[in-house]
Amino acid sequence: MNWTSNKSIRLSKGCVVTFAVLVAVFDLIGWKLLRDLAVHVDTMRGWTRPEMILFSVCLYVLSVPAYILLLHMWKLLSNIQKGNVFEAANVKHLRIISYACAGAVIVGLVGSFICLPVLILPIAAAFMMLIVRIIKNIFQQAIEMKSELDLTI
Amino acid sequence: MEIIVNLDVMMAKRKISAGELAERIDITPANLSILKNNKAKAIRFSTLMAICHELECQPGDILEFRDDPKE
Repeated sequence: MNWTSNKSIRLSKGCVVTFAVLVAVFDLIGWKLLRDLAVHVDTMRGWTRPEMILFSVCLYVLSVPAYILLLHMWKLLSNIQKGNVFEAANVKHLRIISYACAGAVIVGLVGSFICLPVLILPIAAAFMMLIVRIIKNIFQQAIEMKSELDLTI
Repeated sequence: MEIIVNLDVMMAKRKISAGELAERIDITPANLSILKNNKAKAIRFSTLMAICHELECQPGDILEFRDDPKE
């Protein structure tokens, strides 16, 4: 099988859709999942009702940056698929993706006050935010270089 | 501080239109317009060579350096 860049983009888009579906499924049945976990997981059995509610709210609020992140990933991939790679619109999508990661860091930190192992989530989100910001900087430089090249006669 | 491209003057002297010059030096009319209107950021030697050949002139006839007035 010949692997092309178009197939690679389609695979990435497929992963974005898969993640979106997973987030949607969690939004629909997450409350039931948490209720079952609260019965079976030792750490969660000791939680008070307000702690349980706050943790559930944190998990549901995390869906918001998740959807924003996935939407802008989709738009970024669509632009790249059309051949519009180094453009200001893509820099904007990357910026919003980094802001969504920052949102996930903040919400994750709140959740980690209730359940410390959850701290891995904001740490991972912060690292992803850093990587995305560096990629955004690279795109900005590339746009300047492309502009220079386009105006070279 | 800038480099001014005085293509219009040489084109008028040689009585050649923008479209014809663009075709002869194998660049698009849009790119020639960018050059004429001083919007270009750089020019390739190959393009400069082709322009000088068609307009029978030297690079200095079409490129002019203008410095900022020193205070």
